[in-house]
Amino acid sequence: MLRQAFISLVGTFAVLLPFLATAAVDLPPSITIDPGKVEPPCKFNLPKWRDAQVVEGVQIQESRRCLPDNPDLIAAVVKGTNNISMETLMETHLSVDSVIKKDDLDGDGDPDVIIIKLEVFELNGHTPDFAGLSTTYDIAPGVQPAMWVFAPKTRGMSTQSFISNVANTTLRAPSPVIRVEQDDIVWLQLENSHYFPHTIHLHGVDHPYVDSSGEGNDGVPQTSDKVVMPGSAKTYEFKPRVPGTFVYHCHVQAHVHIGMGLIGMLVVEENKPNNWVQTLNVGAGQVRHPSKGVLADYDSEYDMHYHAHDKDLGDIVKEFNDPRLVARKMNREYDLQDATDEYHLLNGLSFPFTLRESLIVAEPDQNIKMRIFNSSGEMSAMHTHGHKATITHYDGVEHNPIAQITRDIYDLAPAQRNDLKISTKNDGFHSYGEGIWIFHEHREKSITTDGMNPGGGISAIVYKKYLDDTGMPKVQGSDITPLFTQAFHSRQYPVWQDFDEWNSLGEPEEVEDEDLGDAFVVPPPKDKNKKTVAATLIATTDATPVVNFMKGLGAALVVFLLYAFRGKLTGVLSLFGKKGGRKDA
Amino acid sequence: MLNFKSVALVLLLVSPSLWAAKIVVHDRMMDHGGGHLMDMGGAMVMGQNIDRVPDGCGTISGTKEITVRAGHKHAKRFPGRMFAFDQQEFNFEPCTKLTVNFINEDKIRHQFMIHGLPRYLYAKGMFHLEVTGPGQVTGTLILPPAKKTYLVHCDIAQHMEKGMKGQMKVGGGDIDLPSIPGVTPYVVQDSYKRTVPLYVPPVDPSVAAKKKNAPYFTVSMIAGLVIGLILLVALASYLKGKQITEIFAALFGYTVALGSKGFNFLKSIFVRLFDKTKKLSFKK
Repeated sequence: MLRQAFISLVGTFAVLLPFLATAAVDLPPSITIDPGKVEPPCKFNLPKWRDAQVVEGVQIQESRRCLPDNPDLIAAVVKGTNNISMETLMETHLSVDSVIKKDDLDGDGDPDVIIIKLEVFELNGHTPDFAGLSTTYDIAPGVQPAMWVFAPKTRGMSTQSFISNVANTTLRAPSPVIRVEQDDIVWLQLENSHYFPHTIHLHGVDHPYVDSSGEGNDGVPQTSDKVVMPGSAKTYEFKPRVPGTFVYHCHVQAHVHIGMGLIGMLVVEENKPNNWVQTLNVGAGQVRHPSKGVLADYDSEYDMHYHAHDKDLGDIVKEFNDPRLVARKMNREYDLQDATDEYHLLNGLSFPFTLRESLIVAEPDQNIKMRIFNSSGEMSAMHTHGHKATITHYDGVEHNPIAQITRDIYDLAPAQRNDLKISTKNDGFHSYGEGIWIFHEHREKSITTDGMNPGGGISAIVYKKYLDDTGMPKVQGSDITPLFTQAFHSRQYPVWQDFDEWNSLGEPEEVEDEDLGDAFVVPPPKDKNKKTVAATLIATTDATPVVNFMKGLGAALVVFLLYAFRGKLTGVLSLFGKKGGRKDA
Repeated sequence: MLNFKSVALVLLLVSPSLWAAKIVVHDRMMDHGGGHLMDMGGAMVMGQNIDRVPDGCGTISGTKEITVRAGHKHAKRFPGRMFAFDQQEFNFEPCTKLTVNFINEDKIRHQFMIHGLPRYLYAKGMFHLEVTGPGQVTGTLILPPAKKTYLVHCDIAQHMEKGMKGQMKVGGGDIDLPSIPGVTPYVVQDSYKRTVPLYVPPVDPSVAAKKKNAPYFTVSMIAGLVIGLILLVALASYLKGKQITEIFAALFGYTVALGSKGFNFLKSIFVRLFDKTKKLSFKK
C-alpha cells in the first residue's frame, strides 16, 4: 500500500517536472561587477613640479598636467649634467656624465659641443628567479608588454628600490626625444647595456657616413659599421646643418628592434643666440624649456610619439632567459608578416594613463607647436577634436608657407613626422572654443588596448579652466575612474556598467542554459489540410515550375520562327550546299 | 683660430679611442657624506663603512681585500649568459672589514651590490660600487656578525638575470641563492626543446654516388695488409722462446732503439721488395 503510494507520488512529480522547469519565464538580472582596486586617476601629488620656475638659471614653463616632468631633470638636461650642482643632479636618476655640454664655439652664448650617453634597457623582461617580470613598466593598469628602450645614462638601481620591481622613472617608453641645436658638434654615445647587439641610425639627421676616425657612422650593420655588442660602446658623431624633426633608431634586426621600442625622435633646433635647448625630453610630451626658435612663434611645444607594439613579439622576451633562445625565436621563428599590434602607445602609455602625461594644456588665443611622429609599421591618421591644425613641416622640412594645409586629419606614413601649428583662436575654424577636446589616431584599432576600447593613444587638448587641481580633465561624461583598474584592462569590467539607474547595459547574471527553461514553441497552424491562399502561394513559389513553363514558351517560339522562316532558311542552307559543290567540281 | 684649437683639444681629451685604452682607476672621489662617494666620471661608492662596528661584533675580526672583475667576457664560461663577475661565491668570517676593488672591464656601467645589510649602518641595507668601464672603484664595509648569505649582483636591468650574480656567505651563510652561474640552477628553467629543425647540409649527389660505388678492397688496403703480415711474422721470430719479463725488457730496449734498428729493418725489407736484382725472401 505504502509502496504504491510512493510510486504514484514519484510518477506525479516526474510528469510535472517539465512544467516546473518552465516556470522561469524572465531573463537573468544585471549584476554589478566590483572593479576592485581603483588607482586614483592622478596618484602623483606634485604641485610644486607643476609651477613655472627657474632651476639652475633655467626657465621652466608651467606644466599643469598630473605628472609633469621633474624640473630638476629639465635643468640637468638643459645645462648639462656637468654644469649643475650635485644637489640638483641627486634629484634626478641621471649619471653625472649623461649629458655633457661645453665650448661655445661660435661665441653666441650657448654650448656647441654636446655629448649624450644612452643605455639600452629591457622593461617587463624575464627573470629566472620567480614567475614574474623584472623591471616592470605599466602602459595602462596591469598592462605590461615587454619593451626595449634607449634611456639616458642613469646611475644606481634600475628599479625604484631593492624590494620593488618597478622601473625607476627615467627608464620608460618611449626612447627619449633628443634635442640639439643646428651646427652643434654632437657625440651620441651608445653604451650597450642590453644582452643583444644594437646600433643607432640617425634617420633624416645630417650626419657623415663615416666618423672622424673613419669608422662607420650610419648605424647600418650590413653597410657602414659593425654592431655594438653587449658590454661595448660606440660614439656616433654629427654636426647637423639643417634643423627639423627627425628620428633615431636601432638598425640591428630593425624589423623587430624598432617594434620593441628602440626608436625615438631627434629634433634639431634652429641656431639662435643664447639657445640652451632641452637636450632630452624623457617620456616625450611637453617641452618645458622650448628653444628660442620655437618660442619666437609659439607659446608651448609638445613632442607626440605614436607607437604600436605586438604582444607576441614582447612575449618572446618574457618566455626565455637564455639570449640564444630569445634570438632564435625573434630572428628566425617570429614572422612579421603574420604580426598584429595589440598595444597602441602615445608617449609610451595607453589610455587612461595618457591623461596623466600627454594632455595638451591650452588657453585661448595661443599658438601651440606639436611634433607628431608615427613609429608604428602602418599608416596613421591623427585627428583633433575642436581644432583644425596647420601642417607646417613634413619630415622636418618646412612646407611652402603659402601652400600649407590646415585640416583635421594628419596622416602619417610609418616613420613620418608632421609639425603642427594648433591655434586656439576661437574663430570656428582653428578652434571651436574652450573645452576638453580629445585627439587620437582615427585608425580605430589605435584607440584600443588589445582591441578593447577605450584605450590606445587617446589624449586631449584641455583648456586650463577644464583642468582640476590634480591636472586631470574635469570630465562631465561617464565616470572614467573604473578605467583605472586591472578589472577593465583584463576585460572583466563592463564598460557600460551603471550607465543608468538600473544598470540596463550591465553584466547579466550567469544562468545555465537548462535553467532558462524551454523556449517558447510557436503553435502549428490549426488545420493542416485546409491551406490558406497565402500558404498555397508560398507552397508554389518554388521557382522550378515557373522556370520550366518559361522554357516551354521559349521552345514554342523557336519552333514557330523556324516554321515561319522555313523558306529563307532552306535558301541559306542551299548556299552552303552550292559552295561545296563548286569546290568538288 | 683659438676656437679651432679648443675643439682639437676637446677632441683629444675625450676621444672615444682614448676611453677604450685601459682601466681607469677612480681614486679621487668626492665624499658626499653618509658613505656616499662619487666622481665626475660617474664612479660611485654607496654604503661605505670604514669604522662603524656592527652591533654584536665587539671588534673587527679581521681585514680582507678582494678584487672582483666584471664584464661580458666573464660570461664565456657560462653558456646562455651575457654578463658575469669573475667569481660567484665569497666566504668571510663575521665582522670582517672587507675592501672590494671592483674592476669593470666592459665599456658600459656595471655594479657590485651587496643587499640585506643592517639598515642602521647601511642606507637601504646596501653596499654599492658602480663604475663605467674600463674602470676600477674601491670601497670598504664591515660585515655583520650573523651567519647569513647576502645577494651580490649588478642591478642594471637584466644584468643579474643574464648572469651577473653571486652570493656572499658570512660565517658559512644560511642558504644558497638561486640562479648563480655554475653554482645553483634557475628557479624558472628555460625549455631547450628544439623548435626549428636542426639544419643538416645536403650532401652533393656526385660525391655520395662516388662513395657508394667505391670498391671495398683497394690496392692501398691490400698493400697495408701484406706489409702488416710481414711485420707480424718478423716480430714473432724475434720474440720466439722468450719469457714475458724478457719480452717486456726487450720491448723497452727495442722501443729505445727503434729509431735506428726499426728504420734499418724496414729499410732492408723495402730494399728486398723493390730491388729487382734480388728475389723476395724471408730467410736471413
